[in-house]
Amino acid sequence: MIKVERRLEQPRWLSFAVPVGSVGVAFLVMALVLVITGHDPLHTYKRLFVAAFDGKAAWNDTITLATPILFTGLAAAVAFRMNLFNIGGEGQLYIGAITGSGVAFWLGPHHAKVLTIVLMCVCGAAGAALWALVPAVLKAFGRTNEIITSLMLNYVAGLLLTYMIFDSASPWRDVSTVQTRSFPQSIALQPSQFWPTVRPGGIVIPFGFMLAFGVAAVLWVLFRLTRFGYEMNVIGDSQRAARYSGMRTRRKILAVMAISGAVAGLAGTSQVGDFSHVLDASAQGLQAANYGYTGIVVAALARYNPIAVCLVGGLLGGLQNAGLFLQGADFPSGLVGVMQGIILFATLGGELLIRYRLRLGQRAASAAETAPAAEVA
Amino acid sequence: MNDSLVVQVLAQAVVYGTPILFAALGELLAERSGVLNLGVEGMMLVGATMGFWGMQRAPGPTSLVLLLAVLTAAFAGLVMSAIHAFLVVTLRASQIVSGLALTIFAGGLGLSSYLGNDLGLADVPPKHQFSDIDVFGLKDVAVAGPILFHQSALVYASWAFVVLVAVYLGRTRLGLNVRAVGESPGAADSMGISVAGYRYAHVLAGGALAGLGGACYSLAITPGWTDGDSLVGGAGWIAIALVIFSFWRAELCLVGAYLFGGLSGGLPSALQAHGYKIKPEFLNALPYLMTIVVLVLVSTGLARRRIGAPAALGIAYVREER
Amino acid sequence: MRGITKRFPGVLANDAVDFEAAAGEVHALLGENGAGKSTLSNILTGLYAPDEGEIDLYGAHVRFGSPSDAIDAGIGMVHQHFRLVPPFTVAENIILGEHRDEARRFLINPRQIERRVAALGERYALAVDPGARVWQLSVGEQQRVEILKALYREARILILDEPTAVLTPQEAEALFGTLRTMAAEGRTVIFISHKLHEVKAVADRVTVLRGGRSIATVAAADATARELAALMVGRDVELAARIERAAPPGDAPALEVEGLTVRGDRGEESVRGASFTVRQGEILGFAGVSGNGQRELAEAITGMRPVAGGTVRVHGGKLRLGDPRSAIRARIAHVPEDRLGTGVAPSLTIAENTVLKSYRRPEVSRGPLLRWRAIRARAAELIERYRVAAPGPDTRARDLSGGNLQKLVLGREFSEQPSVLVAASPTRGLDVGAIETVHAYLREAARDGVAVVLISEDLDEIRALADRIVVVYEGRITGEFEPETATVEEIGLAMAGGEGT
Repeated sequence: MIKVERRLEQPRWLSFAVPVGSVGVAFLVMALVLVITGHDPLHTYKRLFVAAFDGKAAWNDTITLATPILFTGLAAAVAFRMNLFNIGGEGQLYIGAITGSGVAFWLGPHHAKVLTIVLMCVCGAAGAALWALVPAVLKAFGRTNEIITSLMLNYVAGLLLTYMIFDSASPWRDVSTVQTRSFPQSIALQPSQFWPTVRPGGIVIPFGFMLAFGVAAVLWVLFRLTRFGYEMNVIGDSQRAARYSGMRTRRKILAVMAISGAVAGLAGTSQVGDFSHVLDASAQGLQAANYGYTGIVVAALARYNPIAVCLVGGLLGGLQNAGLFLQGADFPSGLVGVMQGIILFATLGGELLIRYRLRLGQRAASAAETAPAAEVA
Repeated sequence: MNDSLVVQVLAQAVVYGTPILFAALGELLAERSGVLNLGVEGMMLVGATMGFWGMQRAPGPTSLVLLLAVLTAAFAGLVMSAIHAFLVVTLRASQIVSGLALTIFAGGLGLSSYLGNDLGLADVPPKHQFSDIDVFGLKDVAVAGPILFHQSALVYASWAFVVLVAVYLGRTRLGLNVRAVGESPGAADSMGISVAGYRYAHVLAGGALAGLGGACYSLAITPGWTDGDSLVGGAGWIAIALVIFSFWRAELCLVGAYLFGGLSGGLPSALQAHGYKIKPEFLNALPYLMTIVVLVLVSTGLARRRIGAPAALGIAYVREER
Repeated sequence: MRGITKRFPGVLANDAVDFEAAAGEVHALLGENGAGKSTLSNILTGLYAPDEGEIDLYGAHVRFGSPSDAIDAGIGMVHQHFRLVPPFTVAENIILGEHRDEARRFLINPRQIERRVAALGERYALAVDPGARVWQLSVGEQQRVEILKALYREARILILDEPTAVLTPQEAEALFGTLRTMAAEGRTVIFISHKLHEVKAVADRVTVLRGGRSIATVAAADATARELAALMVGRDVELAARIERAAPPGDAPALEVEGLTVRGDRGEESVRGASFTVRQGEILGFAGVSGNGQRELAEAITGMRPVAGGTVRVHGGKLRLGDPRSAIRARIAHVPEDRLGTGVAPSLTIAENTVLKSYRRPEVSRGPLLRWRAIRARAAELIERYRVAAPGPDTRARDLSGGNLQKLVLGREFSEQPSVLVAASPTRGLDVGAIETVHAYLREAARDGVAVVLISEDLDEIRALADRIVVVYEGRITGEFEPETATVEEIGLAMAGGEGT
């Protein structure tokens, strides 16, 4: 018989080993699924790996895809740490793209690049933060479940995005030529507005990618060293204890959701500034990639630790890259989602091992240690 | 009269509301046992996919084929929910993260896409589909005719399920037990009720109903299969919200489902048919916005009254802990 | 039960325990908190499986795989923490899980069941309205529902776990009467308690458990309270003697509460116009059965709950009610009833919990940043001074035992040099050693001039510690007593709503 017992201490190495082990388990399970459906797992994996990490072009694409995922992963981590389930990263990303690109289009190409980028980031983050404040306010003051409200706003944001380019005469639309008037598209950024890149050894690292690392570092400091982070930890652990100690829970909910939204917004802004240089509202654009939802997977795998998010984000970026690159008649589509799901499942199952110990048979624990604090009679 | 906008909208509301209703009933059962399953969207997609596949493959007369297809869809949903059940009931994982993982796993970029493409379901014309039945020959009766008496078998099945679930929860011994499991699993456990058993059963039932809901799309509303999320388009999430606004009661799920069905499918198509021009994005956004509004109203109201979620919803139950 | 052994991670709850009870007797299981009484009874009712040992029922060997096996075998239990479903009616709770007669999966007939329940209640003087919802009932009434649950299933063996914790002395007497009736019918009643005088009042025989072992079984009439106490604790014990204070409390009022009205969770008035004063260095004991507004009162004074009317003054300064920060700033310390759920953040470490209220102070924070080294040093110091048994400041709060957790909370609250200390049920669930320690700290606080509000369901504790006693009943203060002169009967009367002064 397998008995499940609560662990008295949680060894550090397990927190690291379990997610890693989960990825391993996921690969195994996926291999099984591939075999059952008539594909060769080894061949598939090899192609995946090559597409993701072999050669400069592969790395460039991986970094490209990892950039938004890092942001959305960090955004989700911030919120989920405090048990705020912000599923709205996707929508916040769209809004960040809208407001970030908006200010760039408004400014025009004749300003200093630094100014353009700073303003884009500020406006992108601010717009998305406001979008995130809607579910935040509803939760803090209306006790409304933020999962559903933030999620619904994703759909609304997507529709807004589509509307702005395809169905209206919004300022984002390019109406300069006959062609653009008939086939709707967004204004494009001028080269002087493109975000810079660094190119060590031929690999292209966009500004957004570096910015994401910067944000991760700031968040790490925030969580570990500041009063704000401490309050987050307490509120996330026990609302009653937070109230007992006089912490202002409602304000914190608003602040944390705003930060989460802002970071997700940066993902959208970076998409415009680093990569597409337009507000891509098409069906193959921002709305096709599900960066927001992938970010949640990243955050969960990284156990909401900002540094781990960077690592996991890189990994999943590679996976996403490979999945897109290999899409075609002979490569199973939907593989990416399936793999992500399995990795998550394996991690969730592995969580059990961190909190509990499995015992086989009837062997018992040693006696005469301090008993846990639950009520005893 | 029966061609008027109002009647058309209502009739369509029933049509579009049915998948939401099935999924909501399923989620209702799961939540009553204390388990939150956010993977509804994913389960519906897989159900839609496998239902369509079943319909294409099954031999025989139309009714038999459709029945088998529907069963296939339900079974597919059930299998999906089994993953969630195992993770949260046995392994005591976070119900929220597990549900989200299920959505990603089974959703438009995951398993349903994988299966759909692998099984060659895209752009395939459906061999059979659910058509509207003329009940008691009343389909032309004023007003009620098109709305109530001229719907597909799935709609009538959904009504049967509403009654079944309502009676089950409210009046049977088993229903009492499951409600106890959702409210006070400790009390239920000490009275000899198997908390894990009930939770498994109800989560699986929820999955089956979600799969059934998904099949409504691929077999009746928009017969066919398309890749990605658009087949179900967020209905799974609306179903989850619907459970809350129905105060966890089956009868109210019916009302809510048709309200949202109307907004998401009925109103747009009816308006278009009558030549009204409203920007499609606005119409499409309506159901999502309405969901938020109603949810807020209900949540602020719930707090004041004693009606609320099953008390143990979302919390893993552990017995031998000290 | 023979040789019953049960282990949990880190603790040996039952160690080769032998226990037997006869039909027609009331058998008490006596022991202090943590002695293993609940564990033993949970094994008997099928909730836990013993690691070793066996159980014989009426001479036949039995093995319980689950609670329903035990229930079918005729064992019924009234738990200390009720296992009721609050939104259900009394009748629904009683038939929950019942799988014998009546159509199993099919429709239940509520009226029929309610009639049966009412009849049962009549017979045993345990009247409750079968159609009422449990959350509306008083604690005493809820306990009756628990007993009826067992009787409905025709339990031959009834186990009650600390049943009088929630009763007034008069209600306890009534309960004893019911128990004796049941024993006279030939049932076996097992009465678990840590209260000596009750055990002597109602039991025929007593088995004493200590540290997970059964120590002795004696006839209740033969042993004196002192002997039983000694068996229970393992050493000779001075029973709850009042220690006279070296210096009486000062005259300056530290805490003045006037006309306090507070609403409870369901919108009802939990505290109605309560007014009282606590002087510097005085311990004011609040006696009363739990559920009469004590929790809401404590939460109101400490700012955790909004107030509908009235004022609270600390050293003359009016508090901003409903704001915990205002109370913290006024130096009101709070040792809450629910120490694990409210007093600490369970997953955080001791160090992190040490600064739960003081993290904004300059000693531990520099601007927006926290000075973790200073915090950990403080925590280590606290652990040392209050003798909290823990590996170090990085231990998580939830891994501490009840006693150590309480020491941590108390230590943290004291180290802030409070003017007022609100202690709600501070010794609930603790073993005698920890209880003595907590009492010592409370006395020390009073000696240092802290005004102590002591809320407790344990009348003995209040009589031992308090300088003055007030009684709370249905949100009102129904009596004020001097501990030296007041009798238990008088106080008990006030606890039940009768007049007293």
